[in-house]
Amino acid sequence: MRERKWVQEILLYSIVFLLTLPIFILLIWSFTKTWPWPDLIPKDVGLRGWRYIIDPHTKILKILCFSFFLSLAVTFVTLLVSLPAAKAIGQHNFKGKKAIQIFILSPIIVPPLAVAMGIHVKFIQMGLADTFWGILLVHLIPCIPYAVRILTNVYEALGTRMEQQARILGANRLQTQFHVMLPLLAPGLVSAGSLVFIISFSQYFLTYLVGGGKIITLSMVLFPFIESGDRAIASALSLIFIAITLIFFLLINKILRTHLNTQDYFYL
Amino acid sequence: MKKRILIFLLIGLLSISIIGCSSKVSTPVSKDVLDMEWSEVESAAKGSVVNFYGWGGDEKVNRWLDTVIAPALKDNYDITLNRVPMNAEDFLNKLLGDKQVGNEKGSIDVLWINGENFYTAKNNELLFGPFLDKLPNAQKYINLDEEDVKYDFGYPVEGYEAPYGKAQLVFIYDRAKIDAPPKNHIELLELAKKYPGKITYPAPPDFTGSAFVRNIIYDVCGYETFQTLEDGALENNVAPGMDYLRELKPYLWRKGETYPATVAQLNNMFADGEVLFGMSYTPYYASGRITDGEFSETTDTFVFDKGNIGNTHFLAIPFNAQNKAGAMVTINYIEGFEAQISKYNPEQWGDLPVLDYNKLSQEEKQVFDSIPLGKGGIPQNILMEHRVPEMPARFIPRIEEIWVQVLSKKGE
Repeated sequence: MRERKWVQEILLYSIVFLLTLPIFILLIWSFTKTWPWPDLIPKDVGLRGWRYIIDPHTKILKILCFSFFLSLAVTFVTLLVSLPAAKAIGQHNFKGKKAIQIFILSPIIVPPLAVAMGIHVKFIQMGLADTFWGILLVHLIPCIPYAVRILTNVYEALGTRMEQQARILGANRLQTQFHVMLPLLAPGLVSAGSLVFIISFSQYFLTYLVGGGKIITLSMVLFPFIESGDRAIASALSLIFIAITLIFFLLINKILRTHLNTQDYFYL
Repeated sequence: MKKRILIFLLIGLLSISIIGCSSKVSTPVSKDVLDMEWSEVESAAKGSVVNFYGWGGDEKVNRWLDTVIAPALKDNYDITLNRVPMNAEDFLNKLLGDKQVGNEKGSIDVLWINGENFYTAKNNELLFGPFLDKLPNAQKYINLDEEDVKYDFGYPVEGYEAPYGKAQLVFIYDRAKIDAPPKNHIELLELAKKYPGKITYPAPPDFTGSAFVRNIIYDVCGYETFQTLEDGALENNVAPGMDYLRELKPYLWRKGETYPATVAQLNNMFADGEVLFGMSYTPYYASGRITDGEFSETTDTFVFDKGNIGNTHFLAIPFNAQNKAGAMVTINYIEGFEAQISKYNPEQWGDLPVLDYNKLSQEEKQVFDSIPLGKGGIPQNILMEHRVPEMPARFIPRIEEIWVQVLSKKGE
């Protein structure tokens, strides 16, 4: 028994190490000027990468705030849309259920590039191109399948008995959903929400096409620097990127924990 | 029953929205900008916003546009410059979409473009013009009969874009590590034999790697033949160049079994001391990275004796730009002496100016000559003496294919 614990710990720490090492290297690169090949530490350090981010002409801080709220809004809408769908699929049997499931997953199967051009053309006609709402809508496409998938599993695991119980005890529909179902769903909402946030936050092509440069997100600023090999600026921007998603994860976790007063049921 | 009402409501809403979209009336165009006097264009541009779309992967270029050009436009013409980082392929897709649905209210006013993207844009009628000869600064400072201005990768410009700057392929080495840089492809081979595994180039279709391959072909075969070459004769004419690259292959980094995928990777390898040979299509690239402290102080730039490939990059206006007057005033300002000269300074950007030296006044010539080129830069006149025109754009994809066929053969 003792030995097994030992093995487990080694495994755990090596996973943590493997996950944090790249981030640590990014941190070093963001301060590096020169780091010749055989050296273990950089030869020359500087603040160029971080200065670029703070410099007001680059507007990066503004873009950062905007990206954060855009993805927040996308997450909220995605969850709102996905909950009823997941409930229907997870708890009810109906004709054509399999087909609908596949249909909902199709954005993962069909490459977005194939449909994005058509969507863009339609959006131009509808006046949605280059607008915040257009971006929000188009971000839902890659996000919904993941959210529905995760929440379906949660609903399947929950079953319908809790809901029935609440109804029998006299709660009305709304009360049942808010006071009984929502706390039970909270862990699933955390995992679905985090995933959706990250997906929306890292969208590049769809934002570019539909936003047309009127809407600029962090990934659109980051990508050219990775492409042109500017390691200091790319590393600094990447770290901010990671930090934002971490902050979001902690935030949503905290809010759901304190307000809904739940413990770990299951994380998917 | 409730459900049915809901469905009807939804259908109703949808159809209204569809009808609402198709009945949009296009706004009548006021007076055509091309028929206006220049002073009218300037007053029409006053107080407007110009959306400038172009590649955003260079800190210096971004800073130059944001902190030199934008304030100058604000002060002189009350124009607000909004720089949007977007690659040429992306804005072309956007414009093609606009064209397809006939969207006359585009979001782009100025494009940074050249080469095959210009070819695509012009062929699909995505550009507004011809506007080049309307710009006072183009008349004043630029030699409009120069090959570099008249042709963009062998494709006639015809006034649909205005020269922005000139680029040229340069090679980068470290004086502390190599005594004398190779003067031609033969000396490059000798160098590679002397330092096996320390030399390589980015694999085409990387933009710069592809230019390097063309430069080698030019050096081996001469550039003149390709300018007027028939399409079918390309294979035979590039063969000596490809033979040379095959001979070079075993002495390259990792014996030529693999190549850096991008020029960025190659130059980072050069910065890290992993290879002895870097390259860039931006002539003063090395000076910039020396100033940043990423290349060593002894880094220097060189070109082949027979010359290196150069091209011009341009600014254009999309067919559906909403602020054509503002775009023209912006481009005109960038064509001017002040903007070109600050762009030339390696501390700002280090891009070769498009000014015609002979058209400058005496004082302007002095200012031009006094620009410090920084460490590791070659003066403009030497670059211009060693400048050969780009290969016609239509040959480039074919050469890249031949390169893959010839160089990926096993056991050579």
